[in-house]
Amino acid sequence: MPECLTNKKVLTKGNYAIANAAVLAGCQCYFGYPITPQSEIGEFMSGKMQELKRAYVSAESELAAINMVIGATSTGVKAMTSSSSCAVALMQEGLSYATADELPVVLVSVMRGGPGLGNIYPSQGDYFQATKGGGNGDYKLIVLAPSTVQECVDLTYKAFYLAHKYKNPTVLLADGLLGQMMEPVEFYDYPYPEIDNSKWALTGAKGRDGRIIRSYAPLADNQCVFLEKLFQKYKTIEENETEWEEINTEDADIVLVSFGSTSRNVKTAMKLLREKGLKVGFFRPITLFPFPTKRLAELSKTAKKFVTVEVNMGQMVNDVRLAVNGACPVELINKGVGAPPSAQEIVSRIEAL
Amino acid sequence: MERNFKIAGFGGQGVLLAGEVLANAFMLAGLNVTWYPSYGAEMRGGTVNCEIVMSDEEVSEVNKSDTDFVVALNQASFDKFLATIKKGGWMIANSSLIKEIKTRADINYLFAPISKLAEEVGNIKMANILALGLVAKASKLISIENLEKALDNVIPTHRKNLLPLNIKALKIGYEYDLLHV
Amino acid sequence: MATQVFKIPESLRDNVKYSFCPGCDHGVAVRLVAEVIDELGIRENSILVASIGCSVTTYDFLNVDSLEAPHGRALAEATGVKRAQPDKVVFTYQGDGDFASIGLAESMHSALRGEKLTAICINNTTYGMTGGQLGPTTLLGQVTTTSPTGRNLEYYGYPIKIAEHIALCDGTAFSARVSLDSVANIRKAKQAIKKAFEVQIHGLGFGFVEILSTCPTNWKMTPDKAHTRVREEMMPIFKPGIYKDITIN
Repeated sequence: MPECLTNKKVLTKGNYAIANAAVLAGCQCYFGYPITPQSEIGEFMSGKMQELKRAYVSAESELAAINMVIGATSTGVKAMTSSSSCAVALMQEGLSYATADELPVVLVSVMRGGPGLGNIYPSQGDYFQATKGGGNGDYKLIVLAPSTVQECVDLTYKAFYLAHKYKNPTVLLADGLLGQMMEPVEFYDYPYPEIDNSKWALTGAKGRDGRIIRSYAPLADNQCVFLEKLFQKYKTIEENETEWEEINTEDADIVLVSFGSTSRNVKTAMKLLREKGLKVGFFRPITLFPFPTKRLAELSKTAKKFVTVEVNMGQMVNDVRLAVNGACPVELINKGVGAPPSAQEIVSRIEAL
Repeated sequence: MERNFKIAGFGGQGVLLAGEVLANAFMLAGLNVTWYPSYGAEMRGGTVNCEIVMSDEEVSEVNKSDTDFVVALNQASFDKFLATIKKGGWMIANSSLIKEIKTRADINYLFAPISKLAEEVGNIKMANILALGLVAKASKLISIENLEKALDNVIPTHRKNLLPLNIKALKIGYEYDLLHV
Repeated sequence: MATQVFKIPESLRDNVKYSFCPGCDHGVAVRLVAEVIDELGIRENSILVASIGCSVTTYDFLNVDSLEAPHGRALAEATGVKRAQPDKVVFTYQGDGDFASIGLAESMHSALRGEKLTAICINNTTYGMTGGQLGPTTLLGQVTTTSPTGRNLEYYGYPIKIAEHIALCDGTAFSARVSLDSVANIRKAKQAIKKAFEVQIHGLGFGFVEILSTCPTNWKMTPDKAHTRVREEMMPIFKPGIYKDITIN
């Protein structure tokens, strides 16, 4: 397990990297319930938070955990929970409420196989769960997808920042592969400005009337106004925060699109295909919401084909198709669950297309 | 250049720890490296393994289908991973627990009585670290100095008294005469 | 010179549209909470976690910082608030369905952890807001919209005795059941509510009060008849009393 802040590279697991980064980001409260493959996060937090005299609760369920985060963030502090797939399913109600309450909830979701209990192997089967949501009503979560252990650190910091900047629940969407793998990482001080929460946080109604954080809107008109405001915010997030990585896309006939741990193999496949003389580019959405729709639409003017590579039955491919909007074909290379298809396998399947 | 290593054995043989030490050593050498363990149902039945991928570029995939160096500490691991070794790759096998049978002509075999040598060092539990000495010798990809520093990184503070013995095991492995092979 | 003997508690908001049904005991219960907050001088230091059900509008009345929880999750959210702000006085105001049915896990575990929280639970033997369905406290034989011939064991099992269960949790500092059917009992109720706040303020553990209340609308009774029902049908089963008080025993 890493020390809290080091000035040198340390070799650490994705799960520990996330937990340690959360501590360094100033997370004051951790609430969680164990589930493989992310239990190391709660284990690390149980020791570290007590050592630092911060809050830690072994929640009785994921329902309780996400609502504890709602409670803590309603007072303006940084707070989080972490979980996986079938247990994140239990948090959907809370996430819907947190968007309606406009609270800076941070959820680390380390995906495993599904549906149902599935298994504990890596998966990207919760792209829909994170980006489309399973909770009720119109809402969006900000979703960040790391592809290396270092990015687990970088995007954990960013998750806390964006959650507070936009008062919107934010998900760090990792998977079992990233959670369990070790890579050298550098931790550093939280690089973002602290957001002033004093205008809305519940801190006791000293010298003022009590504030109410609520989602109950008995009048239809009021709810319409609120939803318009909420979606204006999402538009701002799309304009300001969309992030992606692209390589060799300028002249690419085929653009490979992939996110998270799978994108590592896809990047290698792109290089191998280039070596074979094929004009192949690599595109990796880092924010899954906001999705880099605009950029993909631009690329669809010059590319002849898009291929998404995912470890699920084809989820992100839908968003790529919406972005490309029929300008060229969008194919899918996928695998249901487990470690991503190897670079060599991707190469063969691209060649076979 | 990218090379990968698979270290495999019984649960309790310190396979994951050995992998962590090796990965640390590559990190200390300024290389990129990824460590990935077997976990879950795969671990049942007594074999554990981890994969270490080192590269002077970005490390791409893990869970590769083929391997440059396999370290097998028990027979089950030997049997499971022999076929995955790349042409010209290495099988480093613990002959204390594995039968010395060479069925492939296209790879290098290094049979060494790793458990027995570790016992001679003073603790059979050092077999994992002793094996890393053999890896350093056979692969020529990592220095014994970086492995020593890596041990210091990985061994927790309350176990630091075991550091000298671990270093001794590492050196015994490194000094093992490959002419035995 | 005139002496003021009765006034609106300072912890109640001004000019609020009264949203409870006529004759419902919620109004009395919320007022008692407001009086206790006044007397303890904690309005500016308190955070309410409201729940789902008729109790949801509590934040429209109490002039304290308030958070609305999903159904059943009030004590999980209150746990989060309190752990983030240990110096604040944090309390929930819930119905029996919220506290003892959908939220039973959250309620019990908050008590078991000994969270320094105060929970007020209104027991009116029915789901009021949704139109009078059978709830966890509906009495045997009681007719509701989902027990048309009365609660029977075969289909519904037994009602829960909440205050007794919460008293069994080791982290509970105070657990009581009170009634609002008479002036004398209203006075006792206020004392219990105050005690449930005091054990939190003194860091002793979980403070809990179950308040037997009327639901004239769904019971289809006049307020007076409803109070008679509380006395004659509810109190023999849900016996008022202090089930745990670590400050005296």
